[in-house]
Amino acid sequence: MKKILVVDDEESIRLLYKEELEEEGFQVEVAKDGKEALAQIPRFKPDLITLDIKMPGMDGIEVLKQIRLFERQVPIVMCSAYGEYKQDLTTWASDAYVVKCADLTELKNTIRRLLGLL
Amino acid sequence: MSDLFESLGLMRLLTDFFLSSMDLEKFYERTLTTGRTIFKAKGGVLRIEDQAKGSLEVHCSLGDYHWHPLDQRIAKRVFFTQTPFCLNRKGKRTPFQSILCVPIQGKGKSFGTLTLYDKEIEPFQFEEKDLWLLLVIAQQLSFAIENVTARREISTLIQEQEKRVKQLSTLWELNKALLTTVHFERILHLTLTAITIGGGLGFNRAMLFMVNEKDRILKGAMAVGPDSAEEAGRIWSSLSQKRESPSEWIAQISSTSENHSLLNTLVKGIEIPLENNSCILSRTVLEGKAFNVEVPQSEEGWIQTRCKRGCSLGSEIGCYISEHLSHHPRVYSYATAPLWGKGKVIGVVLVDNLYNQNPITQEDLQYLTMFCNQAGLAIENARLYRHLEEVHQKLKEAQTFLIHQEKMAALGELSTSIAHEIRNPLVSIGGFARRLDRLISSEAPEKRYTQTIMKEVRRLEKTLSQFLSYTHEEPLVFKEVDLREIVEESVSMAIQEENGGIQLVKECSSSLPLVKGHPEQLKQAFFNLINNARESIGERGVLSIRIYPLLKNGASHVRVEIEDTGAGIKPEHLHHIFNPFYSTKENRFGLGLPIVHKIVTTHQGQIEVDNRPGKGVTFIITLPAEEGKGDEKDSRGR
Repeated sequence: MKKILVVDDEESIRLLYKEELEEEGFQVEVAKDGKEALAQIPRFKPDLITLDIKMPGMDGIEVLKQIRLFERQVPIVMCSAYGEYKQDLTTWASDAYVVKCADLTELKNTIRRLLGLL
Repeated sequence: MSDLFESLGLMRLLTDFFLSSMDLEKFYERTLTTGRTIFKAKGGVLRIEDQAKGSLEVHCSLGDYHWHPLDQRIAKRVFFTQTPFCLNRKGKRTPFQSILCVPIQGKGKSFGTLTLYDKEIEPFQFEEKDLWLLLVIAQQLSFAIENVTARREISTLIQEQEKRVKQLSTLWELNKALLTTVHFERILHLTLTAITIGGGLGFNRAMLFMVNEKDRILKGAMAVGPDSAEEAGRIWSSLSQKRESPSEWIAQISSTSENHSLLNTLVKGIEIPLENNSCILSRTVLEGKAFNVEVPQSEEGWIQTRCKRGCSLGSEIGCYISEHLSHHPRVYSYATAPLWGKGKVIGVVLVDNLYNQNPITQEDLQYLTMFCNQAGLAIENARLYRHLEEVHQKLKEAQTFLIHQEKMAALGELSTSIAHEIRNPLVSIGGFARRLDRLISSEAPEKRYTQTIMKEVRRLEKTLSQFLSYTHEEPLVFKEVDLREIVEESVSMAIQEENGGIQLVKECSSSLPLVKGHPEQLKQAFFNLINNARESIGERGVLSIRIYPLLKNGASHVRVEIEDTGAGIKPEHLHHIFNPFYSTKENRFGLGLPIVHKIVTTHQGQIEVDNRPGKGVTFIITLPAEEGKGDEKDSRGR
């Protein structure tokens, strides 16, 4: 069973993503910010990480840089409420970019593509 | 000795006489008669040089001696050699026995000669003492002449000074008037009026040409002067009745009075290449000096013309003048003067005396030049001021644009946080609604509730995306689009069947060029406009849409007009309708029109509003078309 780490500061989003992705047959853990996420990765060893960009404290871009320092292989999907980070070159270090939407089809398809399940 | 005393007494009387009358002619006569008395001579001649003619003229004569050619010869010799002449001879064949002639001289210069003839007492000859005495009398005479000449010169000088002072005070008044305004047209009008008015410089007509450095031409700017001799006579007779000072008539020149004279119209149409050496106007600019020309009458009674085009000025003015000069004029005088501004010639003033045919003197020209120097500065100032105003206007436009941009940037930042605050809850609401929806069977009534939540969340998310695409620049991919199709889709989005009370009138040109643009954005723009129109109309009214090609500045464009019969825009709102933060009841989000504006300007298009408060409003969108790309498709939706 593939493992996914969901990083988002909004509790309801974490809950929604966890339930939806578990229903798709993934093992899901959540982190409420960058610090928690960085602590969880070595232990949980996720196969994929979804990362919210706008978070208090360390933002998603910063977390992405930190993760890439020790974990080069794991696919990372950036999630954001608005499209302007498309222009930020650092997000290119991620593997995909998804604008948040109530319809999670795009997110799920992206995850499956990155995990080679399609 | 008693003779000598008598002589001195007579000479003293002579001096007194001169001092009391200062009349040279009478003094000459008195001197000659006194001389005859003193020397007991039979007659005498007094000659004075006429400098203009270069001859010795007889001013006074006693006896008929001056008729004799010998008298004139001797006088000339004495005059030129400045040496006295004395001759005594015996015999009756000559017309005189004795002669004594002395030069009248002072400061090494001869004024004339004084001659006495035939001593009537013993020894009937002029002696040396007579010579010395006559020289003294001649000396006195020269003092008198010098004195009178000096007086005349002084009084001429005084007259000239008075005239100069009057000119200067007029100039001062005129300059003062030029300083009262910076309005370009008014300055020109003032300048030309000052040149033509009797209390000013008094020329018949004045024309002003400005240098256009860019095109290297001289362009007619304004002219003042009567159009015909009859009009000139009328003006002059009315002017001679009221004597006004320059400041009085200057006040009467209103800045708004339009100059409709034929001359003014003609001059305004004149353009002369600066490099045209045959034209006196161009030469005035190139050589930077004034010209004074007098064209004499030809044998046939016409003014002679010199320029190839057949006019005396090298421009159409001469031809125009010729029409007026069919009444056999004596002369035609005209003059030009350069207008100097900041060290270069900025224009030319042309003056003439067409109607009274007065010659233009060197002094007139000097006066004109002095005035033109001042006028040039004033005109240059006015021109700079006008330029300043233009630049100021551009600056204001740029400022308005910048303020708009700044507002957009602020809106961009604001929208980022709004997006975050709204989109996250929307994801949760919509996401969990979907989870619920999957659990509810399609027959259950609750299915409708979850479906509604999902639909509304979708709508909100779409609005949010559109909002963000407005505030965040994203690279656009432009395609060739047919505006008829775009507008058609916008109409179907905005107007549903149930809008029964609204009559839709569509007029599309059958042949329309394509437009390069972003289909979704354009659809959004027209949707907003049509939606606004529909809301503005309310229950009942007419919504007209017109699409047609348009040639603007030589380039192909497509114009779309969207007209409604609603309430129109309140004049106080009109300035703000494209301002993203300005919201009125007519405009729910305050973003509809700013989005339209932004989309249209992104497409290098133009948006105009024809507002008729209470009656409706028309939005006119003009977009540049793809050159040569169009089709002949028939319009749809008619």
